Amino acid sequence: MASDDFAATRDVPSDGWFGAASELKDSGYDFFDWLSAYDDSDAGLAVVTRVWSVGDRRGVMLRTRVARDGGSLPTLTSLWGGAAWHERETAEMFGIYFVDHPDPRPLLLPDGFDGHPLRKEFVLASRVAKEWPGAKEPGESVAGRKRPPGVPAAGAWGP
Amino acid sequence: MGAVTALPDRSRGVIALREESCTSCMVCARECPDWCIYIDSHKETEPATAEGARPKTRHVLDRFAIDYALCMYCGICIEVCPWDALFWSPEYDHAATDVLGLTHERDTLGTWMRSVPSAE
Repeated sequence: MASDDFAATRDVPSDGWFGAASELKDSGYDFFDWLSAYDDSDAGLAVVTRVWSVGDRRGVMLRTRVARDGGSLPTLTSLWGGAAWHERETAEMFGIYFVDHPDPRPLLLPDGFDGHPLRKEFVLASRVAKEWPGAKEPGESVAGRKRPPGVPAAGAWGP
Repeated sequence: MGAVTALPDRSRGVIALREESCTSCMVCARECPDWCIYIDSHKETEPATAEGARPKTRHVLDRFAIDYALCMYCGICIEVCPWDALFWSPEYDHAATDVLGLTHERDTLGTWMRSVPSAE
């Protein structure tokens, strides 16, 4: 889906993040749609934002990559105030620091929460506690050794 | 415009099981992101029908259930089923007053087949 009208994505290096966003703002992308990230494994963490031109009725996505450890980006809140909550959520969910954010408190997670839940290495406790229905082999009614991706073996994780 | 009284027959309301097509291969249960498909099966051996042939082993389904309290209606199970045993039915009226009533066993899943549109 590479249509200019629908899903145009511009990739920029992380040191060009604010400059590229600023250019979009100046060229008519006045409405902040969303900002989030995804864990791209060895390639680092990808941060994506989408902005929209109300007048021209078109949007664009801007993407960059930051390091898994200690990754940071300048905040876009001075361009679009609406980025504040999205950056707070992205910060806590992925462990990305947004420099000069006006209010960097966690948005959704409780105080003292350990880890970043949307990273691939984050273990979901409920997945360890519950037996995986896919562990059975065809023709069997008891769970075999098969484990779902990203879930550690019983006893290898947790208290 | 009047009230909407009918849904398109390919609306995605509930997932139906065509039990005779299921081979208990476990693909849907393993691909399900919500872990809400439960399958039990056992092996049965059929004696060889011709001289020199080997006996055949087949899987017999003992349980197929979808927990609609967990299901997010993504349809991945339908997409991945190699045997076309799962279908979208447009029926949506399966609310329950007890959470256990949201786990549909294979007989219930089979009844939804009545409203699955034909392939044409």
